Amino acid sequence: MRIMRKYAVVYRSVLMENLQYIGNIALGFVGYFILIFVFMNLWGYMYGEPGTRIAGYTKEQMIWYVMVTEMIWFGARTGAIVNQVTTDIRGGNIAYLMNKPYHYTLYILARHTGEWCIRLPMYALLAVAMGLTMVGRIPGFGIPALLSSATSVVLGVTINGVFKICISLMSFWIEDARPFQWLYDKLILIVGTLFPIEIFPAVVRPFFKLTPIYTVCYGPAKLVVDFHMEQYSEILLRQFLYLAVGIGLMFFIYGKGVKRLYVNGG
Amino acid sequence: MSTGDENNRQGIPGTAPGWNQLRVCVLSIKYNIMREMVNKVTFLTNICFMILNNGAFLVQWAILFRLKEDIGGYTFQEIMLLWGICASSYGLAHILFARAFALPELIINGKLDAYLVLPKNVLLGVMTSSTRTSAIGDLAYGLIVACLSGFSVKKMLLFLLFTVTGAVMVTAFAVLLGSLSFWFVRMEIFADQMVNVTISFATYPDGIFKGAVKVLLYFAIPTGMMVYQPVHIMTDFKWKGFFMVPCYAGMLSVAAVVVFYRGLRKYSSGNLMSARV
Amino acid sequence: MKVIEVENLSKTFRVKQKEKGMKGSIQAIFRPQTTQVRAVDKVSFKVDEGEVLAFIGPNGAGKSTTIKMLTGILYPDGGSVKVLGIDPVKKRRQLAYQIGTVFGQKEQLWTHLTPYDNFKFFGAIYDLSDLETERRIRELTDTFALSEFINTPVRNLSLGQRIRCEIAASLIHRPKVLFLDEPTIGLDPVVKENIRSLIKRMNQEFNTTIFLTSHDIGDIEKLCRRVIIVNSGRIVLDDSMAHLQFADASLEDVIMKIYSNGSA
Repeated sequence: MRIMRKYAVVYRSVLMENLQYIGNIALGFVGYFILIFVFMNLWGYMYGEPGTRIAGYTKEQMIWYVMVTEMIWFGARTGAIVNQVTTDIRGGNIAYLMNKPYHYTLYILARHTGEWCIRLPMYALLAVAMGLTMVGRIPGFGIPALLSSATSVVLGVTINGVFKICISLMSFWIEDARPFQWLYDKLILIVGTLFPIEIFPAVVRPFFKLTPIYTVCYGPAKLVVDFHMEQYSEILLRQFLYLAVGIGLMFFIYGKGVKRLYVNGG
Repeated sequence: MSTGDENNRQGIPGTAPGWNQLRVCVLSIKYNIMREMVNKVTFLTNICFMILNNGAFLVQWAILFRLKEDIGGYTFQEIMLLWGICASSYGLAHILFARAFALPELIINGKLDAYLVLPKNVLLGVMTSSTRTSAIGDLAYGLIVACLSGFSVKKMLLFLLFTVTGAVMVTAFAVLLGSLSFWFVRMEIFADQMVNVTISFATYPDGIFKGAVKVLLYFAIPTGMMVYQPVHIMTDFKWKGFFMVPCYAGMLSVAAVVVFYRGLRKYSSGNLMSARV
Repeated sequence: MKVIEVENLSKTFRVKQKEKGMKGSIQAIFRPQTTQVRAVDKVSFKVDEGEVLAFIGPNGAGKSTTIKMLTGILYPDGGSVKVLGIDPVKKRRQLAYQIGTVFGQKEQLWTHLTPYDNFKFFGAIYDLSDLETERRIRELTDTFALSEFINTPVRNLSLGQRIRCEIAASLIHRPKVLFLDEPTIGLDPVVKENIRSLIKRMNQEFNTTIFLTSHDIGDIEKLCRRVIIVNSGRIVLDDSMAHLQFADASLEDVIMKIYSNGSA
């Protein structure tokens, strides 16, 4: 545990640093609000008369679903995973950072956590406020659903961070890793953020379930709108699995990258 | 163009012909793109991946149209047109004037100095001082999608015109909001958000919105005149609507220029940093 | 003729402040604190044509702020400025045709282009004809000895070569006044000496007025005939170099003394 203390300090200082920017984060609400508003209109139009179900979801569930996924999307978009790794590697800063007595990737992950710990709760409050006033309560949502979806959201955000770091680490080899970030983001967005996986044709669904996408957005949001204990354990299991795989991959890529750096001298 | 005579060559206001300003802008843009092309692999992957990236949204709409045949009065073809104009306007704006979208950062960090000591238009100098490679992908994607949605010469000409007006509008809107950074520090995120909002709306049919929102789409943000009106004109041509689009673009540009130069008086260069005590 | 005339020039900045620790961070959200900093406080001076002036002072003394008001980058809060008889606030572009600026730490060149292409670009900016631009490039290439790397992209040049190109680019339009903000920063002694002799030659051959800020005593001693020292936004000394060197102490000692007095 002693070893983890330094990451806790990084986390705390980033948290403090970001408290200054609460106003800025709140300005970001505009984007979230508008997006959800567009979706309310879109689903309002698609559902037509009340009582219809699309892919097994009621209109309210469908809107809550996108509110939760977009909350994760906006809340987890931290500077640490969006720019920092690429900037560090491309700018040459990595040479100083990798010799510090911590693991660089865990340092970034701690920074990521420090940032989303402020962003995500703020977006969660906004989502709840918007949902309760503009959509209405979700039937069947209680304390168990709240607790289980909260853990699932935290895991989802962390998994997302780990995979984004993995992609950024490609900067060791290529000049610009952003195009791969876009593709990853789009995959997450199309498959699992804008609408639930059930909307896709049945043939592709099992394939989606195998990808990390399932654990980042779909899983947590599904638990919010339609809670079942069995599903919770299944999603949780998959999340832990992906987290382990992701961290392993992250360490592996980083190790390879650093070796390459030593060989080529930056 | 001035002559070689050294005595009356410089310093007289208004003698710089407008086209010399244009020449400097064109040179700037050319050099920007050349800079991006230094690494050809990165240049091409950026463009190709952006086309793919935008293409992902066709999946979204294909899925939605599986559920219903018309969405907000739009067919799949018209959605493609909507997307096409939006992507190519955004692309063109970021190829030519990428820095207009980074204006708040330049203002807050005092990076306008280099443009202020040159005897040319500051705003144009700043706007044309960088480009975004992926924007070429956006423009290409827009053109591809427009062609896929049904090709005719008239339609293509209209499409190109609306790409230009759209690019002018989104750039002017970014400059207008970005210039508020001269007064308020927090504008950086707000301006960025509003441009994103404009684009978010522009990728959904206006038929799904009702009442007051529709009005806001024309008056609070430029989405209406940027994409909706053009799509309506391209499917059902009307002269009145046709003329309104460039007029709107012109008015928005004038507003942006006025606000920018007002704000420039408040510009504090990089001194805020060094004055930190 | 007075090239630069400055009367009671003032500029105030508003600076945000934050107290330390988590408490300070939270406080800053609800009650952001700002203080006024007088960067330049009623500064007045005049510069003659062909003069070489050192405008120096400790960090944060208001040197850059003054230079920026002289070149039209910043709007003054009070007082008046005339450079070559032109008010930079009202006629920024007209003034820009006649002055040159080199900011040591900021690059104005396109790094992926060759010096030659850069000069062509600046020629276009200053409305020179192609013919004239070519002629100027030849002249500058000779004066600054640029010929061996005139066709090498700027990013592949050494720092010394680069700064020579920066200065050459700022001279393409034959400015009457040249503002140099720390032109020798980060250069090795040989290159420094090289740059100094170039600046000197420019002043002698074209009677260019030179307004220089630097932390390098050597720059000041070897180039300038007059020194203005500012501290906390005010002029604390305005004297000829010859006079200063009459004193027993070296220029360095004089400057050190004034710097530390002013900030105490």
